[in-house]
Amino acid sequence: MADIAVGTPLAAPLPRQRTLLVGTVFGTAASLMYFAALLAVYLRERSDALSGGGDWIPSSANVQLAPPTVAAWTMLMSVVTMQWAVYSIARDDRTHAIMATALTTLFGMSVVVTTSFQYTDMGLVADESIAATLIYVISGSHLAMIGIGLVFLLLMAFRALAGQYSSRQTDGFVAASIYWYAVVFVYVVIWTAIFVLK
Amino acid sequence: MTLTETRPETEAVAAGDDVRPATQSSAPQWTPPTGLAGILSTGDHQVIGRLYIVFSLLLSGLALTLGMLIGIEQADIDGGFGVFGQANELFQVFGLYRTTLILCGLVPLFLGLATAIAPRQLSASSVAFPRAAAAAFWTWLVGAIAHIAATFSFGGLGSLQAGAARGQSVELTVLSLGMIGVGLLVGAGVIFTTLVTQRPAGMDLLQMPSFSWSMLVATGVWLFSLPVLLANLVVSWVDMRGADSLRFGGGDAPFEMVAWAFDAPQVYAWTIPLLGITAEVFTAAHRSSPKLFEPMAFIVGAFGLLSFGAWAQSFFDSADPLAQDAHVVTNEVVFTAFALAIALVVLAYGGWLAFNAYSAGERPQITPQFALVTLSGALLTAAVVAGVLRVAEPALGVLREADSDIWRGFFDAMDDLEGSSLVTGLMNFAVLGALLAAVAGLFHWAPALLGRPLNAPLGFLAVLPLAGGAILVGATDALGGFFDQPARPYAAGNPPYGPGHFDEIDALGFVEALNVIGLIGYIAVLGGLALVALNVARSLGGAPMDEAEQGEGA
Repeated sequence: MADIAVGTPLAAPLPRQRTLLVGTVFGTAASLMYFAALLAVYLRERSDALSGGGDWIPSSANVQLAPPTVAAWTMLMSVVTMQWAVYSIARDDRTHAIMATALTTLFGMSVVVTTSFQYTDMGLVADESIAATLIYVISGSHLAMIGIGLVFLLLMAFRALAGQYSSRQTDGFVAASIYWYAVVFVYVVIWTAIFVLK
Repeated sequence: MTLTETRPETEAVAAGDDVRPATQSSAPQWTPPTGLAGILSTGDHQVIGRLYIVFSLLLSGLALTLGMLIGIEQADIDGGFGVFGQANELFQVFGLYRTTLILCGLVPLFLGLATAIAPRQLSASSVAFPRAAAAAFWTWLVGAIAHIAATFSFGGLGSLQAGAARGQSVELTVLSLGMIGVGLLVGAGVIFTTLVTQRPAGMDLLQMPSFSWSMLVATGVWLFSLPVLLANLVVSWVDMRGADSLRFGGGDAPFEMVAWAFDAPQVYAWTIPLLGITAEVFTAAHRSSPKLFEPMAFIVGAFGLLSFGAWAQSFFDSADPLAQDAHVVTNEVVFTAFALAIALVVLAYGGWLAFNAYSAGERPQITPQFALVTLSGALLTAAVVAGVLRVAEPALGVLREADSDIWRGFFDAMDDLEGSSLVTGLMNFAVLGALLAAVAGLFHWAPALLGRPLNAPLGFLAVLPLAGGAILVGATDALGGFFDQPARPYAAGNPPYGPGHFDEIDALGFVEALNVIGLIGYIAVLGGLALVALNVARSLGGAPMDEAEQGEGA
């Protein structure tokens, strides 16, 4: 065997093809653009309605700020647990990674429950006004986005259980976290544009 | 053992041990399905690319047939030939022509070329997500078929009169267009990811071949455009599901909400790969490699940036007359600036081509693809000139204020171009020009795509009707705009056209003569596409080239 000179660095590992990461970034950007378009329609229609001197959200509706605020804080907490999962998998701590992913999933599901409660509570009929239609379109689309995020997270958790992710390969968790942060970001924008501004 | 350890079988394989159970060697080997099952389940990027190309060319033919039907009707503007029973049917076909030509024809044709060719250009074995590429293709195809079927089943993107369309068919038309959008978006994502991640070590983004670079820019712009189209469709669909459509789902609102996708500047975004194909074919014809690639890459990027048009949605122009002057999107400074800037970018691209031709130092080899890309470049130039004329009135508004007497005659001609058939001419110039470039790509990469070259004399025979027809279609629409022919050839009413809708057209007989010439243009383009199909069929009957020659083709 040939001698290896002391201090010679080992050959650099081949760069990983970050296919899943790039694909997820593409999908996340598309999702953000979708919501940007919906919110642009919402704010434009709201501006026109208010400049005409009319109501935007029908006065008969009871759109409270408390449930979406609870949901917004829940989403923000899920950012911490999501980052915890990425941190753990990068350190080969699979137990904590799965626990953190499960908590993130739980937070996501609780936002779904909170939104469902709000739907029944606010008494807004979808085809009653333009505002109602748009609120249901935007929040419903966000529920779908959460659903996709939950499936993504569970898939990564199962793959981690099967041993596919470790400190050498964290792409799946990082990709899921990028998507999840977008889910949270979109909710914070919805909370501000729809429920705070009303 | 902790979960972080390497799995035992991996260690065994690494040690060179055969860990397969003894019975496995006698198990029957899995063989991939062949025939129809093989096509339906394939993840082979070459096959998916070919499927895209075949179906998108077929659907382009359908779109051009629809354009021809509209042309027949417009040959007698005030009376109509009765091709369409009522105004609403003309409206349905008018919308379907646009959705089919662009979203079922042009964009998937480019995606098909990229799916088949881009991995070969990068020396990659396949696209990044082969199964997603297959899912994208089938989603798009099913969506396209459903969209066409729904439109012809008394559907369409809305309706002009109450009761003229069937509600469920309209809903299906909107949903299927969304399905087309999702399919194209996933397909674009696959190409984008392939171009970013599948490059060989040492090849940076600016070292990619011109076509791959243009597809990277195109899919990037489509990434930001298609979700907006989907958002428009979702809002329309939800609104029409209610007891009464409030704003987005009633009347012709579903079409008007997505009309921005078929108008400047977004219409340029669908044509971005034209620039990459032209660069490759042009330099290949001069037997040279592209010189000053970085400036060209910058030009293509700038073209992509300026062609993003999801913000230019005139549907949301304010209904308040006091606010209208400030809010009419086509009168805004940004809209005007984009139209003027994109003309400069196309001019710069022409300069880059001229520089490459000059520095090659020899005459180009005249091939069908060279003729096609030259003419497609001319069509794109005509499109941006039409775009500049369209914004001429607001752009020269300052001069009007300064001295109306001197410029009055000029302004009067420019005043009414907004909303005229010049807009249709612009779209036809750009889209048919890009279709020509895609056909040029088919000729250029035929060895890699089909394993055989296409017949050159038959190719030259197709160039004339394709390019000549495209010029006639675009030019007659654009010229009609100067005589106040409206962009929308319909109005609510029955039979065909609403009374008084065409009273403002100057020189009606001349405009009708122009429309007859445009009709001949549609027939010529259709004939050209048929010749291309014949060429492909003839080529497939010949002997295949060897692998090395096929690789050189990419």
